[in-house]
Amino acid sequence: MVFVEAKGDEPRKVSLELLSEALKLAGSGRFCMEAVFLGKLSGTVKEKVLNYTEKLIHVTDPVLENYTAEGYALALAGYAREAGAKLILAGATQRGRDFLPRVAVLLETGIASDVTAANWDKDPLTFVRPMYGGRVLAEVSFSASPIIVTTRPNSFAVGEPLAQKGELAEFQAGITPAQLKTTVIKTEETTLGKVDLTEADLIVAGGRGLKAAENFRLIEELAATIGATVGATRSIVDAKWRDQADQIGKSGKTVSPKFYLGAGISGAIHHIMGMDTSKVVLAVNNDPNAIIFNYANYGIVGDLFEVLPAMTEELRKRRGK
Amino acid sequence: MNVVVLVKQIPDPEALVAIGGDGVSLDIEQKFALNLFDEFAIEEALRIKAKHPGKVKVMALGSGKTIEALRTGIAMGADEAVLLEDEAFLDGDGYATALALSRAIAKEPVDIILCGRQAIDADRGEVGQMVAQLLGLPHVGGIVKLDVADGKAVAEVAVEGGKETVQVQLPAVFTAQKGLNEPRVPLITGVMKAMKVQVARVKAADLGLTADQTGRPGSKVKVVQYSLPKKKPAVQIIPGTPAEAAVEAVRILMDVERVL
Repeated sequence: MVFVEAKGDEPRKVSLELLSEALKLAGSGRFCMEAVFLGKLSGTVKEKVLNYTEKLIHVTDPVLENYTAEGYALALAGYAREAGAKLILAGATQRGRDFLPRVAVLLETGIASDVTAANWDKDPLTFVRPMYGGRVLAEVSFSASPIIVTTRPNSFAVGEPLAQKGELAEFQAGITPAQLKTTVIKTEETTLGKVDLTEADLIVAGGRGLKAAENFRLIEELAATIGATVGATRSIVDAKWRDQADQIGKSGKTVSPKFYLGAGISGAIHHIMGMDTSKVVLAVNNDPNAIIFNYANYGIVGDLFEVLPAMTEELRKRRGK
Repeated sequence: MNVVVLVKQIPDPEALVAIGGDGVSLDIEQKFALNLFDEFAIEEALRIKAKHPGKVKVMALGSGKTIEALRTGIAMGADEAVLLEDEAFLDGDGYATALALSRAIAKEPVDIILCGRQAIDADRGEVGQMVAQLLGLPHVGGIVKLDVADGKAVAEVAVEGGKETVQVQLPAVFTAQKGLNEPRVPLITGVMKAMKVQVARVKAADLGLTADQTGRPGSKVKVVQYSLPKKKPAVQIIPGTPAEAAVEAVRILMDVERVL
């Protein structure tokens, strides 16, 4: 059973990653799979999700129109019980990480949070999760059922859509407003449409080496050229050059993109902990001894004020072709 | 208003972590600190107390150095400290830890339970929400603002791409995110008080918990083995002038790695 989350008219990428993974498992004949969506389901999201699942269960209780951890937990646990789910997968998004621990308690089981790999061939199944900021990997198994796992975005690949779309079914969990002690008063969207750092494929991040807030435009220009999301280190955020939402690292976000460029970033452990599962890392720093080079695949020892604009120009030239 | 703050003493982010010979234990350098996010939780509790008189109790589960986290809480201004200390509690997962803590919290009436968004050692980020569910309470995760009045609380959460404001009935659990406040630095008088404080000790039996409900036996999720992450190959420095290196970097990213 895969919990599917959407942002606007798009299913979250991590949800499609998990549906793709679940389809592979279903293909092996050991599991049957279904997707579960809570709350208001738009036509676009529905069509997109049905490309990746044999069955989509839409839980339609009106109280689920706004996210509350209490309501979502009751609904998902309620349906999981009804369906006899053995395995519940969800993205380790802010929401997934927020309410699935409650689902675990309701179903008297445990949870493996922020998992980066799964061993589907092992019996019992095991899951790998980074600890101590990624310095150790713990392989864990469950001694309770169902198994509940949240997975870090970009840990699995999104596969090909199904040749034949899945079916839609509705379910009422029977949750009343009186059961909830939480009410959402206001939701403000500040950066609608921007790819969140945690799900970004491409990230361009800047640190102290940029010397002044206005120089961040070098990062923004390069990011815009390749459609990347902008990130920053803690000191940049603490200096209020960038918003807290842009912070990568232990007290910010954990990211796992295909490509990460870090410019003017020394590589403090707090920052490294937030980006060390990135696939390809390019570091630009004028200090050849900067720690970030230990965590990079490629390095340019040089002045970022020259390197970044030259990269932007070359990328524009090559991508313009 | 009575506030309980759940805290954790964790290895310093720079402490060395090695895997034990058995593959299921860790050797961690003896350098510890209070979990970063817990400082925000303690600070918020003290600010609530300043407006709504009551008691701030810091509570932790652990052994050895865990008491230091409680002393930090007292030094900052908390009134009482409770330590869940028992061999039986060791090596528990999120569920076993939350079960013990929820039983200990339930011993006295409480209005607000605060904790950090996650502990940055095990990185689970599960216990606060589980405590809430075990006690049948609402929770708000990752708060950046909290206002308490008339048996209710209004909290702000920075969500992906925006901000959400929610109201909950008290008692409730809140997990603290960076941005909630600026934690105070303990005064010397607070440190003196912390050195002398009587920390109440709680054992599993005091909470009515049996051996199969605590620690590793009581865990629903168990570590099979630890391993070290694959080391990245040594960095390849791209030579040349900044302009040359930039062009070569673009070539590698587009033609060799094919990530752009």
